Amino acid sequence: MNPFVFHTPTRVYFGENSASSCGDFLRELGATKVLMVADAFLEKSGALAPLIDSIKESTGLAPILFTDVPSDSDVDCVNKATVIARTSGCNALVAVGGGSVLDTAKVINICLTFGGEVLDYQGLNIIERKLLPLIAVPTTAGTGAEVSFVAMVKDHGESKKLMFGSRFLAPDVAILDPLMIVSLPAKLTAATGIDAVTHDIECYVASGTYSVFTDSLCLESLRLLFEFLPQATIDGDNLEARGATLVASCMAGVAFTNSGVGITHALAHAVGAKYATHHGMTNAVFLPHGMRFNFESVYPRYARIARFLDLAAEASNSINGNTISSSDDRALAHLLLNKVEALLRQLKLPLNLRELGVPELTDENLAELVDLAGADPAIMFNPREASSEDLTQLLKRAY
Amino acid sequence: MAVFTDTDELHRVMTDLWTAIKNEKEMAAQLLSSRLIVTFHYREPDGRLTVDCSDGKEMVITVGDCNKKPVVEMFMKSSVAHDFWLGKVNVPLALIQGKIVSKGPVNKALALLPAIKPAYGLYPAVIEKNGLKVSIT
Repeated sequence: MNPFVFHTPTRVYFGENSASSCGDFLRELGATKVLMVADAFLEKSGALAPLIDSIKESTGLAPILFTDVPSDSDVDCVNKATVIARTSGCNALVAVGGGSVLDTAKVINICLTFGGEVLDYQGLNIIERKLLPLIAVPTTAGTGAEVSFVAMVKDHGESKKLMFGSRFLAPDVAILDPLMIVSLPAKLTAATGIDAVTHDIECYVASGTYSVFTDSLCLESLRLLFEFLPQATIDGDNLEARGATLVASCMAGVAFTNSGVGITHALAHAVGAKYATHHGMTNAVFLPHGMRFNFESVYPRYARIARFLDLAAEASNSINGNTISSSDDRALAHLLLNKVEALLRQLKLPLNLRELGVPELTDENLAELVDLAGADPAIMFNPREASSEDLTQLLKRAY
Repeated sequence: MAVFTDTDELHRVMTDLWTAIKNEKEMAAQLLSSRLIVTFHYREPDGRLTVDCSDGKEMVITVGDCNKKPVVEMFMKSSVAHDFWLGKVNVPLALIQGKIVSKGPVNKALALLPAIKPAYGLYPAVIEKNGLKVSIT
């Protein structure tokens, strides 16, 4: 067995209406004044009401609400919220929203806890002690930001993403309330869900960093996602399906934050940075290409996933009883690839960059994307090294 | 047993290694094109080395205190640095385990990893030249 390290510092609390327990956790964590960072849409829709009521009950004070978080959150937003939190005397945060909101809250928490400039904390493992209490309530099921040790915000002035990574960034509590995601539109349900599928698959084959802990999380998470993501997408009010995707996404989050992702994420980050495409949808485009690229290096691992999901039995049913040997790793790995592609079609996700709205890739644009992907931290976790030529070919194929 | 007996030995070895890298035309060119200033902070024994590629023409290596502001700073035990140059460190795992701390735009530093891989081949000779009594296998 390879050496590994596995942390999961976040307490995960799941259930319908669990958001209304937020105040109990805050009391336990010693919070007296709370900054709530949330999506503006959630405030307008009234979805924050149970959380606000719960916080009022526990602290005796309404939280300071900060909803000015752009979809591509940035340093200015972090600085603005930090000033508000500091002048209001906040000593805890609650983040309610998608990945961008949760990441923003994590970075605000760094600045609120330690003071100084955002840029002082950019990097990996710089933060070496506990931050102020943070409770995360995800309203999408995909990013895993409610449990992950990383956060990214944009520095618009420099046109680049800043990365912060430390196990102390993980929220203290993740509240997974299916009622908080019922209003998520079908398209975003599918796209964010595929982000979680991508986390699972890339983490499961990450270069020497996966472990039996992350394996078990990835496998069960994939089982839940293959079964329930289509249902949650078609019928947003199906709370069982919503809950299952929320839990699966969280499991994938715990897994990937301990083991990393890979080339699909590196390419998606590059295209997202240049063309502002949706992260989940961009992952959807690259996932089959990334899996094919890694196939020869990791097909026995893909086959393990296929065995766990019993894809051979599923395939034999659909191909008139022709069986696939359980010892044929290549055939089983292909079944996983087919299963992923079938899921993408079923979810009606974009299948290429053109469908995502990416303009024709000139040589200059390709070179820029290759540089971005090649320098993305995700790529070092990929099980197969990718040259600039490999990345160029993958981008062309995905177009 | 520590790899380096003291700071002087650590500084000598790292300076020799980076001088060898500087003399490798292809590797040096790739590093210079990054225009980065990287400071390595070592502990057990303590040490510091700054590699300045900012002018894109000449790599300037400084040991100990340096008044240049680094773009990226890397912090690690000296033994981790030694294992790294032997090609024995799984960098992703070391980052996850917290054995390597990176301050600044980590992607810029990580992008240089493929470029410096040929230096693994230079390190055993540097070790031998400096008479370190350690296994290099």
